[in-house]
Amino acid sequence: MEKLTETVLSIMAGSKITLEIFVLTLAMSLPLGFFVALMRLSSVRPLAVIMDVYIWIMRGSPLMLQLLFVYFALPMVGVRFSDISAALLAFTLNYAAYFAEIFRAGIQSIPRGQYEAAKTLGLTYAQTMQRIILPQMIHRTLPPISNETINLVKDTSLIYILAMNDLLRVARTIVQRDFDMTAFFIAGLFYLVMTAVLTAIFKRMEAYYGKYDE
Amino acid sequence: MENTTNKAEYMIRARGIFKSFQDNEVLKGISLDVCQGEVLSIIGPSGSGKSTLLRCLNHLETIDKGSIEVKGEFLVKNDTSGRAVYAPKHEMRKMLSCMGMVFQQFNLFPHMTVLENLLEAPLQVKRQTREEIQPVAEELLRKVGLYEKRDAYPSRLSGGQQQRVAIARALAMKPDIMLFDEPTSALDPELTVEVLKTMRGLAAERMTMVVVTHEMTFARDVSSHVIFMADGLIIEQGHPADIFGCPKEERTRLFLGNMLH
Ligand SMILES: Nc1ncnc2c1ncn2[C@@H]1O[C@H](COP(=O)(O)OP(=O)(O)OP(=O)(O)O)[C@@H](O)[C@H]1O
Ligand SMILES: [Mg+2]
Repeated sequence: MEKLTETVLSIMAGSKITLEIFVLTLAMSLPLGFFVALMRLSSVRPLAVIMDVYIWIMRGSPLMLQLLFVYFALPMVGVRFSDISAALLAFTLNYAAYFAEIFRAGIQSIPRGQYEAAKTLGLTYAQTMQRIILPQMIHRTLPPISNETINLVKDTSLIYILAMNDLLRVARTIVQRDFDMTAFFIAGLFYLVMTAVLTAIFKRMEAYYGKYDE
Repeated sequence: MENTTNKAEYMIRARGIFKSFQDNEVLKGISLDVCQGEVLSIIGPSGSGKSTLLRCLNHLETIDKGSIEVKGEFLVKNDTSGRAVYAPKHEMRKMLSCMGMVFQQFNLFPHMTVLENLLEAPLQVKRQTREEIQPVAEELLRKVGLYEKRDAYPSRLSGGQQQRVAIARALAMKPDIMLFDEPTSALDPELTVEVLKTMRGLAAERMTMVVVTHEMTFARDVSSHVIFMADGLIIEQGHPADIFGCPKEERTRLFLGNMLH
């Protein structure tokens, strides 16, 4: 019993770094993804092309490779980050690309008539985006955003290879030390609880933003 | 109609408008005048360029050649090389603000209630306070008979109700000119009546209106002037009694014959 408590406490400590990566990545990649989407849709050709290439690289290569690149390859050319910054940089750049594609599709799904109505009423481009397009886009993109967010919870376990004591690494250390699988079950339970909480939050958001249709 | 009367009387003067989409020339030199308090109806077969013409008037489309004057100021005019050049952005914004538009597909903001739809532009664009604008908006909703629906979302309204909200939303900005692009074409016949009634009400209040329509009865009874368009050209225009009573052009006769039977 005492051992179980100790295991839970260790894993809880490990989940701190997991949560930290998760929350910070989300907080940075969502706005970044939105701006990437706007640039991707911009009529300035070079900008749109650069964003296209960026999205292609980020979605077309493994996140694991990107992590290793930032963590091991960049220091070789003199670019050095702390462990956590390296992980955050890789996760943010990667997730921003996925979010950008979701936002782009969301923005493009808003009928042209909404822009035209806003224009004939005298709204500026910024007002139209902020007041008319964004709220409708959020409503439409919540389900895929929710999916990606839950993926992110699980992807945080990749930092395990960067020798940071995240939830998964702590669990593995205990399992190897004690020859006892319990820690894995507890770790699994932690992930399940996190995704359950997120699912509940997104359900409420969908209900809030969805109050206007049906 | 080329008389040189006081130029402020003209709400819109358009001269020689040309407009192409890629190599498809849709407007081939259209000129028209709309005076204060006048109701101009534009009729014609599908694809003749009616919507494009209306959308050129309020800059939803840009013209290639020609000029458009709004209340005596040039929105766009030809430069010396004969290409259309638009006024600076802030001047254009001012001119466009005196035109309201009603679309075939309503285009209400679905994430806002009926009342919020009306308040949005006055609050954001004119920076009016809620206390100033809400009574005005509620009065407009009463006028279109939808005051009880003020807290409903557009998806809960019938097409006819949505279109009347769209009219009220445009009116909330106190425009001098209202543009209508087939406002009843997306509606079931029994719902068009209520929208047309609202529009008749506006005409009776001497609102300047430009209406693209397939409702021949409305065009005949309400308009002060009718333009018949085909293939990007004005084929015939005049008083509704003449256009509908004794059209001069064969194409007009054919079109009206098809529409009325
Ligand atoms: N955005 C666009 N891009 C390319 N072609 C267009 C565009 N808008 C209109 N057209 C073309 O311009 C022509 C005139 O279209 P317009 O919508 O003005 O006709 P209309 O008289 O309003 O017809 P309807 O009665 O069916 O509404 C059509 O051939 C149409 O295909
Ligand atoms: Mg049309």
